[in-house]
Amino acid sequence: MILSKIKALIEGHLTVFKHTFKKNITLEYPENKQILPETFRGKPDWVSEKCIACKICERVCPAGAVKIEKQDNNIKFHLDLSKCIICGNCAYNCPKEAICMSKEYELATDNKKDLYIEINSNSEVI
Amino acid sequence: MNYLYFLYVQILTNYHIPKILADITFPIIPFCIIAAAVILTVLILVLAERKILALFTQRKGPNRVGYCGILQTVADAIKLLFKQNIDIDNSDKFLFNVAPIIVFVPAMLLWGFIPYSSEFTFMNFSVSSLLYITIAVLPVIGIILAGYASNNNFSLIGAIRSAAQIISYELPIMFVLLSVVLLSSSINIKDIVFSQLGSLSVLNWHIFPCIIGFLVMFICVIAELNRCPFDLPEAESELVAGYNVEYSGMRFALFFLAEYALMFIMCAFLVTLFFGGFLPVTSKYISEMIFSNSQYLSVCIYFEQVMWLVIKTIILVYIVMLIRATLPRLGSESLMKFSWYVLLPVSMINFIVIAIIKFFIEGGAV
Repeated sequence: MILSKIKALIEGHLTVFKHTFKKNITLEYPENKQILPETFRGKPDWVSEKCIACKICERVCPAGAVKIEKQDNNIKFHLDLSKCIICGNCAYNCPKEAICMSKEYELATDNKKDLYIEINSNSEVI
Repeated sequence: MNYLYFLYVQILTNYHIPKILADITFPIIPFCIIAAAVILTVLILVLAERKILALFTQRKGPNRVGYCGILQTVADAIKLLFKQNIDIDNSDKFLFNVAPIIVFVPAMLLWGFIPYSSEFTFMNFSVSSLLYITIAVLPVIGIILAGYASNNNFSLIGAIRSAAQIISYELPIMFVLLSVVLLSSSINIKDIVFSQLGSLSVLNWHIFPCIIGFLVMFICVIAELNRCPFDLPEAESELVAGYNVEYSGMRFALFFLAEYALMFIMCAFLVTLFFGGFLPVTSKYISEMIFSNSQYLSVCIYFEQVMWLVIKTIILVYIVMLIRATLPRLGSESLMKFSWYVLLPVSMINFIVIAIIKFFIEGGAV
């Protein structure tokens, strides 16, 4: 009874001691960054050439962060990152793959206006 | 000490300084050495503990200030120096200010009792081991005062817990010390070290007849230091920080300093009692082999003795940190039960066994 307890104590200390020789699992963040997995979702990117302004992304977005405006030959893409939950629905439902999820995840800023992205395209609408 | 005194006087007379000045300044030197040593060791220990705990949990630990974070504790110390000392309403101002000093002074005083080398003990009394144990308990008075004067329930509970802990863990320490004193037939710490000197070198250490006593004393020392798994007085999850909730700035730094200074010196005390103190692990001094013909051989031996003591102490401190990383905190009831039901009887039996062993070593003579 007592011997088994002492054995457990020694085993516990040895297990902790063995961790000394293992590789660190933490990284020094700004200098060394983690290798991201294939399916990682970051900030949504919009490719103006592919967009047909079908507005599926606008309807599908659960947070109401995406907005597409169509004016004659010009498409305007509005993205409010303060609302965006990076669910990837817009990219998944886009018929022309005009929206894809980038791997950019450092989105913190001092100014809230920086979170509001507006992109113009002057390409012809097909 | 006499040897060092004559060396000091000789050096001063070489520069034509009168002997009276040497007499006056000589007693101040040990104090300066201790003060510098305490602060340096604490700075190193705090960093070492953070680094070692990080290693155990596969982290990197402090790594920003200086190369690999070596200046982290220096930066922390500077921050604490410039931090505001907050005075609380409805607190006992005098006791509140005096408590950190009462905790720190005994912790620093204890550094004088350890024999660092065969000629180098700052305070060498004939009853130094008893005095050591007595002074080692004094910080608890400061802790109780701090808990009472803060006018805070958490502080008071932490202080009461600390008092109860020290009372129950003091008795086994005394019994183990008694058995060590019996083995070496002296209550002077220096004589205890010299009694471990013998032809068998390592096998002459008190750890071999008295290993159970060592384990009991090691556990009790950890409990007295209020460290994990006995850190009930400052249990963060229940009492915020125990007796030092209301303290900040330099006053808090004194508590912090005292804790780590006590940890190092208690481990050094254990080393002197059980692991031969400043005696070398090898059968001969290393400097005896290297500088056999040099005129500075005796000085080299003194430094080597200090080195052996520090190396042994560091290993023990490392084990204390390993225990902190491994074991969870005990409940306050099981803490008391463990002391009164397990440690005290074991230490008493150990004392009797050691007495019998000593009787046969001495050849059965009455």
